[in-house]
Amino acid sequence: MIKTTNLSKHFQNETAIDYRDLVFEDGKSYMLLGASGCGKSTLLNMIAGILSPETGSIEIGGEEMTSRSQKEKDKFRINKIGYIFQDFKLIPEMTVIDNINILKLEKVDTSAADEVLESLGILDKKNKKVKHLSGGEKQRVAIARAIVKKPDIILADEPTGNLNFAIGEAVIKQLIEISKGKTLIAVTHDERLGKYFDCTIDMNEVTGGRRDV
Amino acid sequence: MFKFAIKNMAIKKVKIVLIVISIVISASVALLAYNISEQVDDGFKSTAEYYDIIIGPAGSSTQLAMNTMFFTDKPLGTISYEYVEELRADMRINAAVPFTMGDSYNGAKIVGTEPFFLENKTLAEGEMFGEKFECVLGSAVAKKYGLSLGDELITSHGLAEGGHAHESNPLRVVGILKQTNTSYDNVIFTAVETVWATHDHGGEEEHAEEEHVHDETCDHEHEEHGEICAILVKTKSFNHYNAVKTEYGADSKLLVINPSEVLREVLENVDMSSKIVYILCVIILIMNIFIISVITLLNMYDSKKEISLMRLIGIGMSKINLLYILQNGIIGLISTILAFATSRLCLILMGEFVASMGIVLNSARVYPLELAIMALIFTISVIPTVVCTLNMSRKDGLSD
Repeated sequence: MIKTTNLSKHFQNETAIDYRDLVFEDGKSYMLLGASGCGKSTLLNMIAGILSPETGSIEIGGEEMTSRSQKEKDKFRINKIGYIFQDFKLIPEMTVIDNINILKLEKVDTSAADEVLESLGILDKKNKKVKHLSGGEKQRVAIARAIVKKPDIILADEPTGNLNFAIGEAVIKQLIEISKGKTLIAVTHDERLGKYFDCTIDMNEVTGGRRDV
Repeated sequence: MFKFAIKNMAIKKVKIVLIVISIVISASVALLAYNISEQVDDGFKSTAEYYDIIIGPAGSSTQLAMNTMFFTDKPLGTISYEYVEELRADMRINAAVPFTMGDSYNGAKIVGTEPFFLENKTLAEGEMFGEKFECVLGSAVAKKYGLSLGDELITSHGLAEGGHAHESNPLRVVGILKQTNTSYDNVIFTAVETVWATHDHGGEEEHAEEEHVHDETCDHEHEEHGEICAILVKTKSFNHYNAVKTEYGADSKLLVINPSEVLREVLENVDMSSKIVYILCVIILIMNIFIISVITLLNMYDSKKEISLMRLIGIGMSKINLLYILQNGIIGLISTILAFATSRLCLILMGEFVASMGIVLNSARVYPLELAIMALIFTISVIPTVVCTLNMSRKDGLSD
């Protein structure tokens, strides 16, 4: 379970976002909806330990995360969280498999790579350079890298943001399928995809938008 | 990690090759400049240390020293061989070695002397010259003209090619010196008696038949029996050295020099030039440090996006640090090795070119400071990596 309490985050443009307390239960999928700038991605980044909140706390599996060192947060992220970025965060000059094997730098077991690529329908692209793939294929590689380590939590920041609706819908279906039994939190603008998730959270209501500091 | 580092470098091979070339060019220039200046300096000093005194006909001290030590320039003229006999009879003298020069073989100078002149040199094959018309070749001469033991050389009058040929008195090769990486490699040595016999006009029919024209470099001027160009002297003690130098120096027909002093003066006269060379070396080195640091930093800034990506997916800064230190270390190591190899290759190529001027560059010679320069090049190809990654680790992954 992920529990956030009294979270707030300040930004360099002298604005801040205050979050209502949230709870994400284990094994459920959540869709975060909301206008740009309402704090959806910031929440994901704070849960992932990439950003630190100014106030409040985040508990994951009963453990308080915000007070941990950056090194501990990085270690937790590499082992327990699969993060899918909107812009994929792949090395375009490297092959699909090398982009997955980058996790080996932290001794992550990537032996399930073929199986995951197969389930996503891109095993035949395994040795292709990422720069030669389509947007949908790149997104699948990003998903494969996120789930190959069998994380407990999957965070997806606008996983369909760069894809048309048909491909985006297919990607979301696959993401839901392979995330079964795990906690999935996905940020998206597209309400039509809400039917695939267990819960939909309107982030405009959670934060009330940005305020000046 | 090593495997990933190699893969990561392979995808940027063009950029990495350009980086390596930039480092190799700048680093090899620094190594080459320092090595050459040191070798020229060392060569001058070691050659000049062997004899205390050189006696020749009145004239230029520098010309006498350069002619007898490095076989460059032309002799000042001649003096009587009687001086040699006189010096040998002197109890204060350890050795008095005659030196004469005036003929050549395809441009390689022929020195008339005694086996003692080559006392500290080793024969690669054959034996030392003994009889008239026997000769010993410097290693470079033997190699250049494909000469071996038993071959006969038709020498020519004068120090440049195209002089009158001494066809009736060929020199027979009896020995070849081991490579010395000095000016000795470029010279042919024979007995002083051979030079006299070659120029004994009564014995040379062709001299009677035709009028030959000396080239401008030939200054030994038809040596008579008993005429030599210089005497190289080793005294028994410093007191004896002073006394002998003063005595013979009083003779107005003679020039008496201490070769070390003269060469030191030559070096001092060109001191400003050598200082400029050293200043240039330092400037080159500082520029290299700057260039290599900038190249490495630019390389790191190019990798910022990649580093940020790795951080976002959870790879720790310590691993990222190690990865980039390893990558830049490999680049630094390859560049350092190639820079060293390039500087040696340049030394070999330049060595062949400058050998004819009496300067011999040994490509195998490595100075401790060169190793320090190489260590510095390697270090500065790695240090900016650490600085850069440490700087990045202070920011969150989203900042980059």
